[in-house]
Amino acid sequence: MKGLILGLVCVAGAAAVPMLGNPYYTGVIFQLAMWIALAQSWSMLSATTGYLSLGHAVFYGIGAYVCVLLTGSVPFAVTLIAGALAAGIFAAAIGLPVLRVRGPYFVILTYGLSELVRHVVMRIESALGSFGRMIFIVPPIEVLMWCMLGLATLACLGAWAIRHSTFGAGLSAIREDEVAAETVGVPVTRLKLLAFVASAIIPGAVGGLALLRTSYFEPGQAFDPVISFTIVTMALVGGTETVRGPILGAVALTLLSELLWSNLPQLYMVVLGSTLIGFILFVPRGVSGLVDQIAGRR
Amino acid sequence: MALLDVKNVTKQFGGLKALSDVSMTVEAGEIFGLMGANGAGKTTLFSVIAGHVPPTAGEVHFDGRRITGASPSRICRAGLCRTFQIVRPFGGLTVAENVRVAALYGAGGRQDRAAVARAVDDALEAVGLADRREILASGLTLSGQKRLEIARALATGARLVMLDEVMAGLNPTEIAAMLETLADLRNRRGLTFVIVEHVIGALMTLSDRILVLDHGERIAFGTPDEIGRDAKVAEVYFG
Repeated sequence: MKGLILGLVCVAGAAAVPMLGNPYYTGVIFQLAMWIALAQSWSMLSATTGYLSLGHAVFYGIGAYVCVLLTGSVPFAVTLIAGALAAGIFAAAIGLPVLRVRGPYFVILTYGLSELVRHVVMRIESALGSFGRMIFIVPPIEVLMWCMLGLATLACLGAWAIRHSTFGAGLSAIREDEVAAETVGVPVTRLKLLAFVASAIIPGAVGGLALLRTSYFEPGQAFDPVISFTIVTMALVGGTETVRGPILGAVALTLLSELLWSNLPQLYMVVLGSTLIGFILFVPRGVSGLVDQIAGRR
Repeated sequence: MALLDVKNVTKQFGGLKALSDVSMTVEAGEIFGLMGANGAGKTTLFSVIAGHVPPTAGEVHFDGRRITGASPSRICRAGLCRTFQIVRPFGGLTVAENVRVAALYGAGGRQDRAAVARAVDDALEAVGLADRREILASGLTLSGQKRLEIARALATGARLVMLDEVMAGLNPTEIAAMLETLADLRNRRGLTFVIVEHVIGALMTLSDRILVLDHGERIAFGTPDEIGRDAKVAEVYFG
């Protein structure tokens, strides 16, 4: 309950940032909200079931692609919803075969699928003679930022609701022992598929919004695997045991990257990689676990 | 009508016949024992009945419905649940959470919070884990984890519970306590049990009827007394 109030205060504060009149800060909030939404969505599948997806960029990319194709013919809110739906439908379509494998195989498979879709879209685009699509009329940055903030809030509330529901209890049982879960009545296949779809929907809308922010679509960028890597790193750095974990991880790494991009851009990936390794080795429960530890020792 | 009806089940793993033409019927409220040396096919029979392994031939009916080929979760929700000889606790969850998953998803299903909490309490009470409910399941002793297997099966609300060697690895005091627990569950709640046990004494005391398997074939069937006198059984067990 305390967390919820704190969260709402943060959202309200962030929503008021455009009043500062500095578009840079609005942009930073947009980035923050975007990564929170993505990392939190990822956690709906990967933190709950232990199926680590290394291909969440595919949902982001699909959302962006659908959005760019529809822009101009329908209102921008509709393009976002269509992007979200397309990502969810794609997850539902590939979910059954993909979720049959687990552990490292699932990690590799999701990464490979994301890359496959990226190359397919690149081929389609070049066959159509398009080398990147521009969008000329986009909503102002404040509006985009508010939308993103809404998505981040939605993702956090969704993740919280899942963890406290019967659905979430089933998913943790799946993470711990799939055979035992099935034996005590958990419909394992259905639950995994639902979690997969749930974790894909918001990233679809996020991809659309991010596209409107850059007003430029290029498949290599929209399906960039670095997006997937960043999501996983943020969630693991933040900690996957709690809802606040992905939030903390997204905030920490977004701020870090803001600093690095402006000063040492070539170091960004190096720092991302070493942070991930460092956390997995020395702080396996993430920032969130660290906070608990410190609070517990007092 | 029998609660569980296994008809001519055969299971072939490549060239190995793990079960060959095994039939058995279990009546509601009885404790049915399965006996046999290592590799006799007891666990395979459990897996076939619970839906983990499809039979090569034959059918399984539970409560008048054919369950051959159904998924284990569906069979569990129909009211038949098994435990594992090699325990499979949800190690990262607490003892109570382990049991709660079973109560939420089992045969009872979709109950209100109070009913779920009651099912958890009852199951933990029945196996004597009530005082350990808040510790992680991975922190239980083997005996505790075997009890947890039973508690989970009970919490599903299953009418027929299949126990795969729940007494192996327990000391005589624990075995005595377990025997009492099972007899009590049958008497008070009218549960039906199918049990596999290496501890022959326990099986003889507890079971109403016993089926003896050897190399996947049924070699004897009857009350504990009859099994005790059976020449074929004596031959398999004592040479």
